[in-house]
Amino acid sequence: MSEAPPTAAISISSLTKCFSPGASPAVDNISLDVAQGSFVAIVGGSGSGKTTLLKMINRLILPDHGQIAINGEANDAMPASLLRRRIGYVFQGIGLFPHMTVAENIAITPRLLGWGVRDIAARVDQLLDLVELPRAVATRFPSMLSGGQQQRVGFARALAARPRIMLMDEPFGALDPVVRDTLGHATRTIHDRLGMTTLMVTHDMTEAVLIADRIVVMKHGRLIGDGTAVELLDPRQHDDVRALMDMPRLQAERLRARLDGERG
Amino acid sequence: MSPALKSALATLPEYLGSHVLLSTAALVLGLAISLPLALAAIRVERLRWPLLMLASLIQTIPGLALLALFYPILLALSALLQGMIGVGVPALGFLPALIALTLYSMLPIIRNTVTAVTSLDPAIIEAARGVGMTDRQRLLKVELPLAAPVIMAGIRTAAVWVIGTATLATPVGQASLGNYIFAGLQTENWVWVLFGCVAAALLALVIDQLLGLIESGATRRSRARVLLGLGGFLAVVLAATAPVAIGHIGPRQPSYVIGAKNFSEQYILAALMADRLEAGGARVTQSSGLGSAVIFRALANDEIDAYVDYSGTLWANVMHRTDQPPRAKMLAEMKSWLHDRYGVAMLGSLGFENAYALAMRRDRAASLGIYDIADLAGHSADMAIGSDYEFFVRPEWQALRNAYGLGFARKRQYQSTFMYRALMNGDVDVITAFSSDGRITANDLLVLTDGKGAIPPYDAVVLVAPHRVNDRRLMNALAPLIGRINIGMMRKANMMVDREKDKLTPGAAARWIEQEIGLIQQ
Repeated sequence: MSEAPPTAAISISSLTKCFSPGASPAVDNISLDVAQGSFVAIVGGSGSGKTTLLKMINRLILPDHGQIAINGEANDAMPASLLRRRIGYVFQGIGLFPHMTVAENIAITPRLLGWGVRDIAARVDQLLDLVELPRAVATRFPSMLSGGQQQRVGFARALAARPRIMLMDEPFGALDPVVRDTLGHATRTIHDRLGMTTLMVTHDMTEAVLIADRIVVMKHGRLIGDGTAVELLDPRQHDDVRALMDMPRLQAERLRARLDGERG
Repeated sequence: MSPALKSALATLPEYLGSHVLLSTAALVLGLAISLPLALAAIRVERLRWPLLMLASLIQTIPGLALLALFYPILLALSALLQGMIGVGVPALGFLPALIALTLYSMLPIIRNTVTAVTSLDPAIIEAARGVGMTDRQRLLKVELPLAAPVIMAGIRTAAVWVIGTATLATPVGQASLGNYIFAGLQTENWVWVLFGCVAAALLALVIDQLLGLIESGATRRSRARVLLGLGGFLAVVLAATAPVAIGHIGPRQPSYVIGAKNFSEQYILAALMADRLEAGGARVTQSSGLGSAVIFRALANDEIDAYVDYSGTLWANVMHRTDQPPRAKMLAEMKSWLHDRYGVAMLGSLGFENAYALAMRRDRAASLGIYDIADLAGHSADMAIGSDYEFFVRPEWQALRNAYGLGFARKRQYQSTFMYRALMNGDVDVITAFSSDGRITANDLLVLTDGKGAIPPYDAVVLVAPHRVNDRRLMNALAPLIGRINIGMMRKANMMVDREKDKLTPGAAARWIEQEIGLIQQ
C-alpha cells in the first residue's frame, strides 16, 4: 500500500449517503484520501455508488454523514456555486448547453468568475488547441459536432477556469472504442501537463488500468479494493476485485488465442 | 360600398383601438402575473398541481360568463372600498373585461412555462449546476433561454384567446370589435356580424404571426427576428390605439355615457339620445349591449348617465313588486321610489310601450280558433313556446302562467332575432314577442289579447343617473323626446333596422325619428 501524502487534495472521511429511508445506502461509510497530482479511477458495477461518491465532492449531492475536505478545507465552507467553479467536472451525459456556441460553452465558468472578455477569448483558443479541436468549431453549436468532439468540448469546459481538481463521470461512456482510447490518452497527457488531481469514475477496468495511477473499487456503496493495478492483482484481495482485475487479462488472452487460431 | 359596411368602417378606429388596448393590457398583465407564478411552481413542486388546476378551472368557465361574473364581484368590492376608503371601483367597462381576460390568458402561459422548464434535459440542468451557476443564473442563462420557444408558443396561444374572447367584453360595457357582432346579431345586420368576426380574426392572425416571428427568433437564436417581431407588435398596438389615445388627449368636454340593452330598439334610442346630446355640443359615448339586470345597476352607480328602460321591468325586477296598480299610479309610485331609493331620475315616458306579448302566426291561430291568451290556454299542453333568454325566469311568466293556467309541451329559448324565425318556420307555435317590434307587422303576427291584464304595462321611460339629475345640458337634450314617440313610429324605426333589404343603422333610424318629431330638418 502506498503511503498517504502529507496534504491530500481530496480527503473523504466516513461518508454516507442514503437516498430513501430503509433502502441500503448508496455510499456506505467511505473514507478516502486522494494525493495531489494523482489520477485515481473509481471502478465498480452500476449501482455501486461511484457516481454518488463523485457528486458529493462538489456537492451536486449532499451527504447524510461524513466530511469532505478539499486541500484541507471543508467543502461546505463556501457556497456550492463557488466551490463548483473551482472544481472541473466532466458529466456522463456531457451536458453541453445547446443554445450556446462551443466558445460560449467553454467560457461559461470564467464568465461566472468575471474574467475579462479578452482573457476569456484567449483561454478558449488555448483550450481548443489543448483538446485538439480546430478553432473553427468555436462558433458552432454542440448539435453540429460528433460525439467525440462534444466530449472534447465538455473536457475543455471543465478545464476552462484552471481548476486544480478534475472530476470525471464516465467521460468516455458513449463513445466508440477508437475515439474512447484516443481521448483517454489525451486526458492523461493533459492531466500530467497541468499537474491536476483527477478522480475518474468508470465501469471499464481496462480503461482504469491503462489511464489511472491508482484504482479504487466499489461494491454496494463500500470500498472493496484500493491500490495500483499491480497491487489489486494480489491474491489476498477481495474475490470481486480479483475477478474484475482478471477480466482485462482474460480478454487479452482470448483475443490472442482467437487471432492465433485464425492464423494457424 | 354598402351603407352597412360604410357605417362599420366609420366606427372601426374606436372599436379596434379599444379592442387592441384591452387585449394588450390583459396580455401584458397576464404575463406579469403568470410568469412569476410559473417560476414559483417550477421551484416549488407542491405549488405546481394546484396552480395548473386553478388555471384550467378558470379556462372551463365560458368566456361570456367569466366576463359577466366580474360585474357583481366588482360591484361588491366597490361597495366595500367605498365603505373603507371612500373610493369605489368601476364595475363596468374596462376593469371587469381586463380582469376576466387576464385570467383567461394565464393557463397557456403558466402551463407552457412550467412544462418547458421542468422537461428540460436533466443532464443540461446538472451541467448548469456543475459549472457553478447559482439558481438564479441557471434560470436566466440556461432554463429560460432553452424554454423560450415553448413559453413564446404559450404567449401566442394566450394572445389569440384573449383577442377572440375580448369580443365578449361588449355586454359588460367595454367597446370592442364585439360591438359589431352583438349589434349586428340584434339588428340582423349580418354585414356587421361578419365585419366584427373578420376584423377580430385578422387582428388575431396578425398578432399571432408577429409573436410567431419572436418565437422562431428565440428558437433560431436570431436577434433580428425577435426585434422585428417585437417592433411589429408594438407598431400594430400603437397604430391601433392611437385614435383612442388621441381622443382622450384632445380638448376635454363633459363626456356622457348613454347605455343600451341588447336589442335594436335600445340601440336606436341610445343613438337618438346621443344625437340630441351631441347636437347640444356634448361628447358622448355609447355603452351598448348591456344585460337587462346589469344596466340599471350601472345607472344607479353613475357608470352610465342615461338609458331607456321599461316600467314593467323596473316594477318586477328592480322594485320586486308583484301587484299591479293602474298605469298612472304605477308610474308615479315608480318615479318617487327610484328617486328615494337610488337618487335616479325618471324623466318620463317616451310615449310608447314595449311589452311582452304572446304572438302567433295568424294562419295557425285562426286554424285553432285562438284569439286571446285564454283561448291559448286550452291548446298550450300540445304546443311549443319560444322566448328570449330571460322570460321564463321573470315574474311576468309566473303571473301569466298563474292567471291563465298555461303549460307548454316544450320551451325553447332564442336570441330574439332567431325567435321570430323559429315562429315563422313552425319550430314553435307561439313566442313572447315585444309589442313595439317591427317584425310583428312585417310578419303579420297575431298578438294575443291579455284579457286578464296579467302582463304589466311596459312604458318606455328615460332614466338619468343620480350624479346627472341637475345636469342642465343632459336634461335639455332629453326633455324634447318625452311623450313624442308613438308605437307606430317605434315599430317603423325598429323595422328599418331589422329588415333584410335597405337596412338602416340604428343611428340612421334615430335620425329618421328626429325628423318625424321635428327635431331636425329633412
